[in-house]
Amino acid sequence: MLSAQERAQIAQVWDLIAGHEAQFGAELLLRLFTVYPSTKGYFPHLSACQDAAQLLSHGQRMLAAVGAAVQHMDNLRAALSPLADLHALVLRVDPANFPLLIQCFQVVLASHLQDEYTVEMQAAWDKFLTGVAVVLTEKYR
Amino acid sequence: MSNFTAEDKAAITGLWAKVNVEDAGGETLGRLLVVYPWTQRFFDSFGSLSSPSAIMGNPKVKAHGVKVLTSLGEAIKNLDDLKGTFGQLSELHCDKLHVDPENFRLLGNVLVTVLAVLHGKEFTPEVQASWQKMVAGVASALGSRYH
Repeated sequence: MLSAQERAQIAQVWDLIAGHEAQFGAELLLRLFTVYPSTKGYFPHLSACQDAAQLLSHGQRMLAAVGAAVQHMDNLRAALSPLADLHALVLRVDPANFPLLIQCFQVVLASHLQDEYTVEMQAAWDKFLTGVAVVLTEKYR
Repeated sequence: MSNFTAEDKAAITGLWAKVNVEDAGGETLGRLLVVYPWTQRFFDSFGSLSSPSAIMGNPKVKAHGVKVLTSLGEAIKNLDDLKGTFGQLSELHCDKLHVDPENFRLLGNVLVTVLAVLHGKEFTPEVQASWQKMVAGVASALGSRYH
């Protein structure tokens, strides 16, 4: 459960990212593939050539989903249900990979926001993204 | 075990040279205790950990954070033998402190985010990769003599 302060922190950070979903998303994916090469297997077309346009396009899609999650923080299960189905039935990303993505997300936020990335923001976003990951893997079995 | 390339070593030592351990130590341990509150279980004697500002301002947290990062700094001089460097500390963390090695992984990840805060764009994906390798190596070395 997210407290009122946590919701505010989450929204505050999102306001700084909104409009830049493609750029942040592309960097997220680039970090994921560079730091954790085993994740590339889940993105065969993307990771083979690491074409900037494709990274931006897929990054945009992923961050747009995060944005939707931010809008529906109170009801992630309903808002992310189609994505949960996708991950359970089609993508089947091993749940162990979500913490890796979250770590890269934290580094993207930290490196862009720097001093503005307070400890409270980091805590709120870690809790939030972990909650998103739980929902996305909930229907696996 | 991690094999550090020349690029890894350059990224690690180069960045570390610019880190103020006095500041980064407290920031790193403080963020660990705030973001993953269950880690506070090891620090009952540290006084007030009741809020993020209490934690970040706690002098014992700062002092211990400096201690931890100083030890890490020593390890950076010995990247090819992390297990040897951390052997005794591994025994200490197992036998006396009873710290779940998962905590080393959490602290390492928090350190990486603190380095990202400090260095911004300079903390490129490649530099991050070298540092994640570094903290993974340290975590593994610290857990190596658990029994």
